[in-house]
Amino acid sequence: MTGRHARTALATVVLALGAVGCKPASQETAPPPPPAADASGKTEVVLCDNHTKVTVDTKANPTRDDGEQIAQQLMAQWKQKNPGVDWEADERRAHDLVPAADNAGLVGNPQGQTYGAITDRDVLLWKSQVETFALAGSRVFHSADELGSTIAVSCDMCHPDGANTHPETYPKFQVQLGRTVLLRDMINWCIEHPVRGPRLADDDPKMRALEAYIYAQRKGVPLDYGRR
Amino acid sequence: MAFALLLAGLAIAASSTPARAQEAATHGALAMDQQIARLEALGITTTATDPPAGVVGAIWQASIPADNAMTPERIALGRKLYFDARLSADGTVACATCHDVSRGFTDQRPVSEGIAGKLGRRNAPTTLNAMLLTSQFWDGRAADLEAQAKLPIVNPVEMGMPDGDAVVKVVVADPEYVAMFQQAYGRAPSYDDIGRAIATFERTLVFLDAPFDRFMAGDVNALSGEAQRGMALYNGKARCVTCHPLNAANPIGSDNRFHNIGVSARHQDFGSLAKQALTALAADSSEEQLDRLALETDMSELGRFMVTKRRDDIGSFKTPQVRNLTISAPYMHDGSMQTLWDVMDHYNRGGEANLFLDGGIEPLALTDTEIDEVVTFMVALTDVRFAKEGETAMAAQRTLAATKRPFKDEALAMRRVLPFESKSAAAGQEVRP
Amino acid sequence: MKSIETKYMEERERTLRGLAGLSRRDFLKVSTAAVGATALHGVFNPHSFQPVDVASAATVDPAGKVEPFRFAYISDSHLYSKDLNDRFVNGLMRAVDDVNALDPQPDFVFYGGDLAQLGQPQELELGAQILKNLKAPVRMMVGEHDWYLDLGEKWRSLFGDDRYTFEHKGVQFVTLNSVIEEDFWTERNLSPMERMKTVAGLDNHGQRPFTVGAEQRAWLAQQLEKVPSDKPLIVFSHSPLYKIYKNWNFWTDDAEEVQAILKRFANVVVIHGHTHQVLTNRIGNIHFHGLLSTAWPWPYAPQGLPPLTVQMGRPDPFNPNDGCGDGMVQVHADGLVDKVYALWNRNPVTVSRRYTLSGGKEDRPAAPLLASF
Repeated sequence: MTGRHARTALATVVLALGAVGCKPASQETAPPPPPAADASGKTEVVLCDNHTKVTVDTKANPTRDDGEQIAQQLMAQWKQKNPGVDWEADERRAHDLVPAADNAGLVGNPQGQTYGAITDRDVLLWKSQVETFALAGSRVFHSADELGSTIAVSCDMCHPDGANTHPETYPKFQVQLGRTVLLRDMINWCIEHPVRGPRLADDDPKMRALEAYIYAQRKGVPLDYGRR
Repeated sequence: MAFALLLAGLAIAASSTPARAQEAATHGALAMDQQIARLEALGITTTATDPPAGVVGAIWQASIPADNAMTPERIALGRKLYFDARLSADGTVACATCHDVSRGFTDQRPVSEGIAGKLGRRNAPTTLNAMLLTSQFWDGRAADLEAQAKLPIVNPVEMGMPDGDAVVKVVVADPEYVAMFQQAYGRAPSYDDIGRAIATFERTLVFLDAPFDRFMAGDVNALSGEAQRGMALYNGKARCVTCHPLNAANPIGSDNRFHNIGVSARHQDFGSLAKQALTALAADSSEEQLDRLALETDMSELGRFMVTKRRDDIGSFKTPQVRNLTISAPYMHDGSMQTLWDVMDHYNRGGEANLFLDGGIEPLALTDTEIDEVVTFMVALTDVRFAKEGETAMAAQRTLAATKRPFKDEALAMRRVLPFESKSAAAGQEVRP
Repeated sequence: MKSIETKYMEERERTLRGLAGLSRRDFLKVSTAAVGATALHGVFNPHSFQPVDVASAATVDPAGKVEPFRFAYISDSHLYSKDLNDRFVNGLMRAVDDVNALDPQPDFVFYGGDLAQLGQPQELELGAQILKNLKAPVRMMVGEHDWYLDLGEKWRSLFGDDRYTFEHKGVQFVTLNSVIEEDFWTERNLSPMERMKTVAGLDNHGQRPFTVGAEQRAWLAQQLEKVPSDKPLIVFSHSPLYKIYKNWNFWTDDAEEVQAILKRFANVVVIHGHTHQVLTNRIGNIHFHGLLSTAWPWPYAPQGLPPLTVQMGRPDPFNPNDGCGDGMVQVHADGLVDKVYALWNRNPVTVSRRYTLSGGKEDRPAAPLLASF
């Protein structure tokens, strides 16, 4: 491979993976050196983190497809080393989330009011954000590690898909807690005892997310506070 | 148990000195007139119609049966009966003998002593705050104080009267009683009304003014830092609140349910005991027979099972209140625990594993400091009117606990050994497909 | 106003009088049972002294084929190593204690699967060690939590074949490995532990439905070929061998095919694990009974609950043992069973042969006050 082609290939790779935080080549102070020509006929392509690499056959005229393949291989490797990055997709693949309310019917602006003007973009924003939050709760709900359990117990062991959490029955007087409690108090009791992890503060992001997930999974059930 | 027998033996055998003779005659209780004086000094301010401070009015009202509303006449009559030893077969035992004003309204003995020095099998619960429990006796066999009052009087090892009629005869022979019954109930004395009157008097014995209550009412200095940490543990890691909830609607700390926490499993074989119980009850299943079996035989250890005959209730006893514990030692249904540290050690190790152990009983992994903190909190649940008595009692408990902690087992408490691990039988068959 | 115990004794009297029609020999057997044998067996009927149907159990099938007997069960212990989770280990030990306390001892103890939580060698070995303390012989069955770390390697080395048949007192038994899932791990390049953890989550959709599988169905058919149709048949399976709720794998995908193989037999009982609750069903000649777990209870599925099931009542979250337990199966002369759920801290629930035979009309277990939300 000539120096010029190698440079192009590397540049392609770096640009395609801009998402992983590498600076685009145009912002670098000097172009990267071309890879050493190799008697074995293989070229090593390195990601801009100087860490992740793949080895490919040296090609005389690499195409865009070749470049994309290399990019995908590098990305797959990088994702394996950074497993949390696609957490939303992973979580959706693993567990069901009841979808949030469908606000699509609200799009429009009949009364000319700014607040009352709703676009598709708004609807998308609302739905994606609230579901992301509920998904974060699902992630904690299903993970003994995230809950801080010292006995490797997670909520889903007794509450698969959030079953039997009945958030619509709170607030209620819980004799064994000695007072009227909200959902989060019961969550905290469960974290402390069946899960044997540290109690969460009322405004801890994990507690908020757990509540969000539990409410999400119980969508449609009428409120019935105090029900046993 | 041996300790109690020894005590009883001493009380009866050594009657050469007047003091000892006196004690034999009163079974260790303070003289009745002195008890009444102490009672008056306590200054119970409950009037007949108002709920006392410290309990939600609706709950207090609901604890009073419709046919026995509280009136000053009934309270006075009940008081007279409570302290009257003539209601026993040999004239030495009154309610106040085992529910002694000077001994925490109990007798501070492992098990109680009745006529002729006979011993029962169960620790006397305190009369204090008893009205707020939804059943009486360790096995809940009496639904209310009225029912409870009538049973020890006719029990052969307690007050030993042959039946209710004999008791009424004694009462009718006293013209003052006849007049008081007329004023209180508008009719001649009957055994049922005797129970009602005693119950009415007992309903005035509500003592819910402890440092804890003052803290909850807003006095942040009422509980020491140690007691507050104990309270956090009580509601958290130590899990006490699960069966002993403390709140305005239930201020005494009993869930009024029956749990097997393993105390009775220490010395018994439940299987054969249950079989024996079924046979005895088949012959005679009356309340009196139940009462007798509970107090006189090994089957007492089966607890609530004797009443309901449900497997789930084998070895289960009622959750007692956590109020005024400093003056109502020893603890548990058989009085087998002398100090609050013993109680904490018992729970910390996960009770005593047995086939019927309540599932909420688990090793708690409490450290020594944490145990001390919970004990300090429990001390803060004693009414301020008993503060001095309580301090004396706790000093003695502290001394005892410093050298003797018979129930302490750190391996079990810290979950290094599991409760059922020690129980698994050794011999087994080879595991094969 | 009768006292509680008076009411109980009256009910017991009524029961005994009702049995007066039996021959003297049978009556003596039953009345002894009414007073003490239920205590002897360590099992009391939920709310009265109606004896477990000892009368019919005491008679031998006229052809003299099946001698009534009983076996105990322990299931779904989900063990972690003891240092990690003491509660689950203690639960299994408690179950072993329960079974050892039975008098007389059962003929054998059946283990319903999911001995380990993550299929790890130390978990399986710990379980094997604890089960060695059982006095009666043990028959093991595999669950998905035992299987998917190493696809059965450690299990087989400890316990032998994951599927087998045996006969006992005239009843044909078959133990299946009914948690076979289609390969979902290769294409996603999952490590063994990733595969195991995917399967370990009940509501985790990364996995595939449980099956018995074509190869095992063929094996089953072949094993049963020579078995006469009137011979009682009891099938042990971890998945229910019918379809309740696919999302939680309360499900066997090829259930209909398996049921077809079992169809020709007069009386078939399926005892299954995995569901951690009281579960009863009947499809034609097959009577299905679920097992309890010693580790934790599952809630009832939002749909698919068989109408015959009388729920076990919502477990108390403040009691980590509530809804858990072990139990017994009393096998009658015709091969049908009384299934006893020995729930810890509750009265035992008996789902009797008469109940499933009558399609739920007779002998209905008590309904709970607190049903599933």
